[in-house]
Amino acid sequence: MEIPVENLDGVSVAVLPVDELDASNAPEFKRDIAPALQANTKLVLDLSRLRFVDSSGLGAILSCLRQLTAKNGDLKLCGMSRQVRAAFELVRMHRIFDIAGTKEEAVQAFAQ
Amino acid sequence: MRNNIADASTIEESLRRHATYSLGKAWGDLSQTELFNAVALSVRDRLIERMLETEDRYRREDPKQISYVSIEFLMGQSLGNHLHNLGIHELYREALGNLGANLEAVQDSEQDAALGNGGLGRLAACFLDSLATLGMPACGYGINYEYGLFKQEIDNGYQREKPENWLAQSSPWEIARPDEACFVPVYGHIEHAIDRKGGYNPMWMDWKVLVGIPYDMPISGYGGRTVNLLRLYSARSSHDFDMQIFNDGDYFKAVEQKMESETISKVLYPSDAVVAGRELRLIQEYFLVACAMRDIVRRFEQNHNTFRDFASKVAIQLNDTHPALTVAELMRVLVDEKDMEWEEAWNITRATLGYTNHTLAPEALEKWPVPLLESVLPRHLQIILEINRRFLEQVSVACPMDVEGNVERTRRLSIIEESTPKQVRMANLAMVGSHSINGVSAIHSELVKTSLAPDFFQLFPERFNNKTNGITQRRWLLKANPELANLITASVGDSWITDLCRLRELESHAVDPGFQEEFRKVKRLNKVKLAGIVKDLLRINVDPDSLFDIQVKRIHAYKRQLLNTMHIIDEYLALVEDGRQPVAPRTYIFSGKAAPGYWLAKQVIKLIHNVGRVINNDARASQWIKVVFIPDYRVSLAEKIIPAADLSEQISTAGTEASGTGNMKLALNGAVTIGTIDGANIEIREEVGEENIFTFGLNAAEVRTMREQRSYRPWDYYARHPRAKRVADSFSSNLFCPDEPNLFAWIFASVLDANDEHFHLADFTPYVEAQGKAGSAFRDPGRWTRMAILNVARMGKFSSDRTVMEYAHEIWGVQRSTLIDDPLLLETPTG
Repeated sequence: MEIPVENLDGVSVAVLPVDELDASNAPEFKRDIAPALQANTKLVLDLSRLRFVDSSGLGAILSCLRQLTAKNGDLKLCGMSRQVRAAFELVRMHRIFDIAGTKEEAVQAFAQ
Repeated sequence: MRNNIADASTIEESLRRHATYSLGKAWGDLSQTELFNAVALSVRDRLIERMLETEDRYRREDPKQISYVSIEFLMGQSLGNHLHNLGIHELYREALGNLGANLEAVQDSEQDAALGNGGLGRLAACFLDSLATLGMPACGYGINYEYGLFKQEIDNGYQREKPENWLAQSSPWEIARPDEACFVPVYGHIEHAIDRKGGYNPMWMDWKVLVGIPYDMPISGYGGRTVNLLRLYSARSSHDFDMQIFNDGDYFKAVEQKMESETISKVLYPSDAVVAGRELRLIQEYFLVACAMRDIVRRFEQNHNTFRDFASKVAIQLNDTHPALTVAELMRVLVDEKDMEWEEAWNITRATLGYTNHTLAPEALEKWPVPLLESVLPRHLQIILEINRRFLEQVSVACPMDVEGNVERTRRLSIIEESTPKQVRMANLAMVGSHSINGVSAIHSELVKTSLAPDFFQLFPERFNNKTNGITQRRWLLKANPELANLITASVGDSWITDLCRLRELESHAVDPGFQEEFRKVKRLNKVKLAGIVKDLLRINVDPDSLFDIQVKRIHAYKRQLLNTMHIIDEYLALVEDGRQPVAPRTYIFSGKAAPGYWLAKQVIKLIHNVGRVINNDARASQWIKVVFIPDYRVSLAEKIIPAADLSEQISTAGTEASGTGNMKLALNGAVTIGTIDGANIEIREEVGEENIFTFGLNAAEVRTMREQRSYRPWDYYARHPRAKRVADSFSSNLFCPDEPNLFAWIFASVLDANDEHFHLADFTPYVEAQGKAGSAFRDPGRWTRMAILNVARMGKFSSDRTVMEYAHEIWGVQRSTLIDDPLLLETPTG
């Protein structure tokens, strides 16, 4: 999948370009987000297009966070729909991610 | 908004419209099933209008919501009930008559929704009727089984089970709500992580997901002012195919996985089946709990911002231990999803949940192996272990370990049984996690305290209470027995329909010869109808003037259909060997299903058939005794059998029947009870008076003593009572199994075994004596009719309206809706 990445104030902002992140495309996502993880330790993942995420998708996002924190970086999330938020809450992942409403707020959170 | 029904012509128009536009056929071309569907869809229109009004009222008033969670809802047929409750029964009769159809035939063609095994499921259905009639904001939560309880066929006296695919033609009552589907995760593992504040953060990863699709069945209350919902969930796979497998090219594996997901709501487990350890059953129970909780939380969040109010706005009643995982699920939602502190979440959980116990048999209490739970619901197991750890800490304060006996007591109290493998005790989980623990009759509730859970009772006595079961008179008298209902209404008015205690007014008619005559006419008419059914189904002629002695219920050792059969054999042998005629001619009528894997119960069915074959074909007995077994017992059949009963057999081993509700249905329809001192029989005796019931046999304390002291000596009874000996000997003689020698020899061994759990020989002679008294009373029509009328008149206590009011006031903290007292809404139903 083609993941658009922009740079805002030194923070990479990647947009997840799919409606559903599940077992069928989670490996592809992990592969295609890798360059962004390599390029910058400060990453925002914009989930505003995402409508459904299953445990494979959650696992893929979690692995991004782990890779960045291993390098003293961070992954912040933004633009979560109610349904996607519910999936994060279900597995308590909302507690280990910094979740912002918009990408601007997420970028700003890196500055704080 | 409301579609007022002014007259039959409006209904005719509605029926024709549904025939044309819903079913795509001309009225005259409809099959019987289509005719039913057209009528049901027409009635459903009215129900939906009232349902939307009811929802709107609840939204405006924001009352406390009751959620009744049950793995079974034995609804039976619905059309007749809705017609009565909406007050449009006679209008539909007229409209259908004008269109050349017959209402009764249409009603009869409705397939039973057999989403339950017996008492527990039917109780849930009666409660829904009462909750709606009382205007209480309530929702039932259950599973939309594709296959309900099996269809029973009899082949040479043996039960054969046939699948009952009640949804094959889809139910017109169900409204699918795919937009409100919810996700149910199962399996996976826990990843131990640290959250952003540095705290321990277990994460439930790698789960599979099921989808729960809700189907709503409208539940009308009498008078039509309230239409609540029964929300039943069907399981679907999360996607039509698992895309990963599909992409890998394994199409068949993908389809298999889809089918596996949908298996969850495929079939109702028969009671008495050994379900412990069955992964599918555990997932089925969690599926129900997860779907219900998701919906309850969704509704709550529509009107409320903070979960601190949850327990003041939501009451959840767990119908037995099947939904006991609700304790862990609600904790998971509050702690994991709503970020609540454990203590606060725990207080809310306990304040919200109530648990109803339905059985005293320790082997019937559900347990799940810890490894299985860990595999299917890893996060829930963590939560259960934490609940248990905190609970046992509390226990250790109340019961210090250095005091003798407390180690053992703590073991018994623990939610985890220290066996190999360890087991999660679901009843303990339910008791620890609920603010109320109730039994379902006075004696049962006492036995819960003293015998089933004495340690829990000692620890928190304030949680224990009794709620004697009840039945809805709208189903079991108004609909099932219209002739008796009309007679009662003509005599004392119709207020009994919503206030069953008003039947007391019948007492003054109990010795009135004119009323007695009318009462007997109604009973005879019902017996003639049943005799017709017996003739049609079994090609056996039965005499409607004989005493109809009826035992209808699940076939189970503790319910002792065997004891009943032993009495029949005694009567028969006394007649043909001793020349002693019975006091009165009798027709013994049995009906009931045995769980498919329950060998003993299925043998009893075979025995009843074989005894019947011998007796019914013996010319010496034909005037005096007939024995019939009506196959495929279900709610709609019960509605035909019960009104015809003279004598109601309620003869469970004392201390085994939690309550029984068949006893109430039969007495309400003018049957006199012959029964043991067990379950609700005791309260029936208190109500109707000792002179209007035939009780016999050991009581629960005597049974318990004999068990504990191992003092039961069946051979003594055998030696001392020649009639008992003769009956026992008949089982080893092949008298009733000439074609299959020794078929019933096991019964001889069983009733003479000191370990006979059901004390057949101890209770045999007292039972025969009580039967003699019943026969004598029946021979005196004036006396018998008086007894029967007084049974009807004194059944007020056993309305499920009373039961539900007690739950509402004492457990749920809900008051009866003021709507019911609103004079503007007290319209008399039309028709």
